[in-house]
Amino acid sequence: MAADVDLAETNDLRRAMARSAWRSRYTFLKRLLSHRSFLIGAVLFLFIVLVAVLADLIAPYDPNKNDYRNLLAPPSALHWFGTDGFGRDILSRVMHGTRISLGIGLSVVVMTGLLGVLLGTLAGYVRWLDNILMRIMDGLMAFPGVLLAIALSAALGPSILNAVIALTVTFTPRTARVVRASVLVIRELPYVEAAVAIGAGNLRIIFRYILANALSPLIVQLTFVFAVSILAEAILSFLGVGPRPPAPSLGNIIAEGRNYLQDASWIALFPGMAIACAVLGLNLMGDGLRDVIDPRLSKVRDAG
Amino acid sequence: MAKKWKFGTTARHIGASLLLASVALGAPYASAQTRGGSITVAQSSNPPSLDAMVTSSQASRNITMNIYETLYGFDDKIQPAPILAESVEVSADGLSYAFKLRQGVKFHNGKEMTSADVKASLDRYKKVGATQTMLEPVTEIEATGPYEVTLKLKSKAPTFLEAFASPRAPAVIIPAEEASKPANEISFIGTGPFKFVEYVPDSHVKLERFEDYSANEAFQSMDGFGGKKTAYLDTVTFRVIPEPGAAVAALESGEVQLLEQIPVPTARRLSSNDDIKIYENMPWAVLTFIFNMKEAPGNNLKFREAVQAALNNEEVMAIATEGLFQLYHGWMYEGSTYDAGDVGAQSYNVADPEKAKALLKEANYNNEPFSILTDSTIPEHGKAAVVIAEQLKAVGINAVINQTDWPTALKIRLQDTGWNGWTLMMGIEPYLGPAALVSTLTGAAPHFRANDPELDKLYQELISTDSVEGRKAVFAKIQERLYQFVGIIKLGETGLMQASRANVQGFKPFRFPRMYDVWLEGQ
Repeated sequence: MAADVDLAETNDLRRAMARSAWRSRYTFLKRLLSHRSFLIGAVLFLFIVLVAVLADLIAPYDPNKNDYRNLLAPPSALHWFGTDGFGRDILSRVMHGTRISLGIGLSVVVMTGLLGVLLGTLAGYVRWLDNILMRIMDGLMAFPGVLLAIALSAALGPSILNAVIALTVTFTPRTARVVRASVLVIRELPYVEAAVAIGAGNLRIIFRYILANALSPLIVQLTFVFAVSILAEAILSFLGVGPRPPAPSLGNIIAEGRNYLQDASWIALFPGMAIACAVLGLNLMGDGLRDVIDPRLSKVRDAG
Repeated sequence: MAKKWKFGTTARHIGASLLLASVALGAPYASAQTRGGSITVAQSSNPPSLDAMVTSSQASRNITMNIYETLYGFDDKIQPAPILAESVEVSADGLSYAFKLRQGVKFHNGKEMTSADVKASLDRYKKVGATQTMLEPVTEIEATGPYEVTLKLKSKAPTFLEAFASPRAPAVIIPAEEASKPANEISFIGTGPFKFVEYVPDSHVKLERFEDYSANEAFQSMDGFGGKKTAYLDTVTFRVIPEPGAAVAALESGEVQLLEQIPVPTARRLSSNDDIKIYENMPWAVLTFIFNMKEAPGNNLKFREAVQAALNNEEVMAIATEGLFQLYHGWMYEGSTYDAGDVGAQSYNVADPEKAKALLKEANYNNEPFSILTDSTIPEHGKAAVVIAEQLKAVGINAVINQTDWPTALKIRLQDTGWNGWTLMMGIEPYLGPAALVSTLTGAAPHFRANDPELDKLYQELISTDSVEGRKAVFAKIQERLYQFVGIIKLGETGLMQASRANVQGFKPFRFPRMYDVWLEGQ
């Protein structure tokens, strides 16, 4: 009997916990969506993502199709964004370009996230590793970010994969720092002590109690990494160390348009706007996320 | 028969304004030439040196050819013509060239030029000249009189005078006391219509009119690199403006009076501007595509033929040159002395994908990557590579682009591996004539890496044939051979757009901006 009651109570408790988890998730979403800048950012970013995903279906032309009878044509009904020095349709190139740029951005976010969590947690949780790891990270961070990325991709050679590697190496230290800072705080909290007291293993403590609670600042950091890597990819391509031509990455398109700024400004203008949209969207989303996740900060800001 | 395209279809209107510009130029100068005034010319890079004989850079030549002169130089018909020399006497055995010098020619330092200066200058060229092969056949340089210098050759070299007149790294005459100095350490003293004032690197080179210039009265007017030159301008300043946009803005604001090169779309935009004249310098250079014949798949003749059949030269040229091009199969410019006529025309600009695919099958091509080496420094190279890659992909060739910077590309292409194709614009070789062109395709390091024995033989025949007629016949065979073994493909000819303020008179586009016989209206 007693056992049955216990079981029933536990089940109730579980159900209640699940309900409250759902409720808190629901209120979290509600708060996010009622946050104006997050909403604007999300709409902007989703639009870009949609364009990138559907590029094959909605792009009016093959992005690499040359047409020497239509060189540097200004925007028209036929070519909404005009054509470049090869007669290629800028609209189609920008659509495919957002795919390459977002692809690079996403890969960098995933790799940076994984590496950053791994290194940050190790540094924060394993005392003797802390100094070694963080000094290496400090060393990497001593270089200005974009400069390091340029140097790396110049050394590795121009390609999409190498751009991802270069940007990951550049942004991982920053992410690792954020994770480490959270881990250092959380590991001293009473519930972690409690977990240690009941004999939970290191892995369980790390994943169940520490990382789960360290995620929020990480997510905010990763939206920032996403935005910066889109910008950095454009810089790398612009300097000729990004994806090889004729790949229509946004930076490549702008680089090609540089020589025509006075005579065919549309070549650089439209990919520039696409980058602006993506980066603005991501930054607004990041701001919104931070406000909602960490209300104290937004209150401080409101007060100031 | 040449198919000529001056500008793409999108810019027909510019033709009219060009015509206007050339009418203005061709008119028997309604306004009389006036002395005085100053001109600023903009060019994109620093001259590596103003010691004319040690560099073959265009940026240097633009300036130095206004300061120095050579014994012989090309005239408008690309024939060697006397400049500082009066004439040359070649001995019956072809082993001795006696140059008679013009008398009374003054250097910028006031000294008269004599045979001692000429001997010293040519001796110096043998040591520091950038194209020393020019004087390679010469064993002895002798002053055989105060105004006569005799060159002794080790063997007969019928094309010697042509090579000697080459402006590539010109064998200029400088005072004997300067000629004893090492490369780049001379004072810049010549005999030309302008004398050197100052050089501020990254900023400008300033020249001023040489009042004691001795014009060559044997001519009526300027003619190629020589002729009768008259300096009207007080000073000429060559300013270095690397960014084309900035240079154009300087021209539009009147800060600069002449642009040595202007982007084609900009020329189109400015053609309706009454304050600015546009000049078309055509043909300026030949765009080529070169195979690495030492590495697969380029080592297979059938494969190379497939590429030749696949190429749509019109598309490549239109895009690479932004519409300023002409299509001609001949390796020498149409109508020039050595133009070989129809030879090879049937293999040029074929653009037949089906034929290309059939040839690929014959070549047993198995989708190996075909890596096209190119650079982003010279826009025509990179753009041509992109278009060629697309065309080759369309017939089933696995073309990839390896874009580096210019110095890296120059290094890679000297290797036997690591590249399969290479885009190269030949500026001065096709202008200089058959020997200059073919010399880059033969010898120890031909552009396409592996020697073609047949071509090597023809080259020897070319440089040992006495008469121009004979050499013409040999060159026709060379052109035929070039289209047979397809180590290098001529894509087409491109031009150079130049621009000046409307008040600049008398400027005629040439291999370098000739600042003599140019004056300012209303000065």
